[in-house]
Amino acid sequence: MIEVAQLHRRFGPVVAVEDLSFRLEKGEVVGFLGPNGAGKTTVMRILTGYLPATSAERVLVAGFDVLRQSMEVRRHIGYLPEAVPLYREMRVREMMRFQGRLHGMDRATLGRRIPQVLERVGVADRERQLVGKLSRGLKQRVGLAVALLPDPPVLILDEPTSGLDPLQRAEVRTLIRDLAREHTVLLSTHILAEVESICPRVIILREGRLAADGTQEELVRQLGGEGHVRFEAAVGNDGPDAAAARELLASLPGVGAVEVGERLGIHQAFDIRGSGDLREDVGALAVQRGWAVRELSWRRPTLEELFARLVLGGEQLPTGAGAPAAAPNTRHRSVGELELAPDAPREERPAGRAIYSLNPFDQGASRDLGKPMPGGQGDPGGPAGECDA
Amino acid sequence: MRGTAVICRRELAGLFLSPLAWILLFASVLLNGFLFSYVLTKSRDVTASLEYVFGDGLFFWGLMLVLAPLLAMRLLAEETASGTLEFLRTAPVSDVAVVLGKFLAGSVFMAVLWSSAFLYAGALELWGTSPDWGHVVTMFLGALLASSTFLAISLVTSSLTNTPLLSAFLSLMACVWWLILPMLVASLLAQMRGLLATVFGNARAVEGYVLAMLDRMSIFRHFGRSYFRGVLDTAEVVFFLTWIAFFLFLTTRALEARRWRG
Repeated sequence: MIEVAQLHRRFGPVVAVEDLSFRLEKGEVVGFLGPNGAGKTTVMRILTGYLPATSAERVLVAGFDVLRQSMEVRRHIGYLPEAVPLYREMRVREMMRFQGRLHGMDRATLGRRIPQVLERVGVADRERQLVGKLSRGLKQRVGLAVALLPDPPVLILDEPTSGLDPLQRAEVRTLIRDLAREHTVLLSTHILAEVESICPRVIILREGRLAADGTQEELVRQLGGEGHVRFEAAVGNDGPDAAAARELLASLPGVGAVEVGERLGIHQAFDIRGSGDLREDVGALAVQRGWAVRELSWRRPTLEELFARLVLGGEQLPTGAGAPAAAPNTRHRSVGELELAPDAPREERPAGRAIYSLNPFDQGASRDLGKPMPGGQGDPGGPAGECDA
Repeated sequence: MRGTAVICRRELAGLFLSPLAWILLFASVLLNGFLFSYVLTKSRDVTASLEYVFGDGLFFWGLMLVLAPLLAMRLLAEETASGTLEFLRTAPVSDVAVVLGKFLAGSVFMAVLWSSAFLYAGALELWGTSPDWGHVVTMFLGALLASSTFLAISLVTSSLTNTPLLSAFLSLMACVWWLILPMLVASLLAQMRGLLATVFGNARAVEGYVLAMLDRMSIFRHFGRSYFRGVLDTAEVVFFLTWIAFFLFLTTRALEARRWRG
């Protein structure tokens, strides 16, 4: 439905978008992520035909070229800019009628369609109200209704939830997820919780370039590297015992690195990195050593961590070399602007999504666990740890 | 064309739904009406008083110069600022339709304003003195065309900025310049006679050419020569329409250039 190839856009000397290529198939919902000023809005404006590209091999929306067949493209797009464009002096219904007339819809269709769309976005009772008197959240919905009125196959929503309170935001999210069944949706946001809950696929922009593109699981797998095992147990006293336990853990097969984390009371935390899922090995070791385990879990980098690393740290980027020297400052500033899951609606996550892509059997329990461990050391911890301390 | 009609209709609705249009109408019709009755009681000359409020007086031109920038400000600069222009320009209508629709809406507003001429003429008729109706009609047409020209000029300047206040000020300056350009150039040439004489030899001839050229552009002259006298001359209609078309063309181009600049 949307196809972009080698898109460039500059504003005078400033390069806003550089060598961007991506595709959206019919019915996809894609989240456009990036810190402020990454070029999200520019790309969306180019897609709607509001801005022309400086150069591009191909920018197609619904099969039409955005520059040469601009009118066709505009007929097939529902666009909601960030500053919701509504005429303050008009009533909601009048605004909808105006949009309908712009799209050449006849009176009968409008009469049928307007109540339908207003009902859908949940503002049916505000039909006669002045747009200027509506609250921010209601305006956002009316803006969405206006964009939806001609029933466009492609929806482009620029920060559809900015400036909304958490409750309204959740409502808009539900609405967008609902829309995804019939429309191809491209939405931009800098709020990660939003993307996590709506969009299976994410496109991350950084300084106008494509930083990552794929489903969340893919991204986490490809760019986030392996996950790690979080292990928290009473292994003995703070100093030598913890160090000894660390040695032991590091000696397990497949373990790359072991970081000693914070200590809470008698429990010492470890982050164990390595290939595959090492929980069983660690568990077996703990049983053998008699450590009282408080936590043994598998941690994968979340999209949030990944995003922060990708966009702010600039690491693991194919195009990272091009970053200007003065960037650190600006990047740091954008840390504050990122709202990392401000309302964190974790329970909202659709169930049944594979967060853990584990293969517990490749280094499973059948292996002789005692063998790799260098023996001879005395009982370094165990339940009696507190006595030692 | 459908787009033009839709946008024109929306702009008119928007204008008359907001207090601006009503305040402008009220204030200008009130003042103009007051001037009319004042001149009428002073001179006791029906034609002279009608002419005074429609073409002869300072207030007539002043009103035109002030109204056009205010309307243009609302039509373009304000919409850029509020983001609704982005909405229009991503809707399936061409830029030409947008500009034309907005211009037509502004012209209709001007027509409503100047239709007060018929009110005055009607009042005179009612009180027993029959005015020259043909004259009234041509004066109305002339006022409409002249103010539409100013509106077109103001739209150009309004499309250059997204600060409404700046747009209004720039438009006002542009309109004033356009109106008094022949006079300004005439005085400038008079001062430069010495220089012209050394450069071209015959200063009078050069001055004559330039002034003749500018004279053909003078709105005052074109208005005074036909509409004001009750003559409906196609050449004069074409004069105004040509300039309007030229400035509307510039407006569309300016809007298009903004796309490239971003």
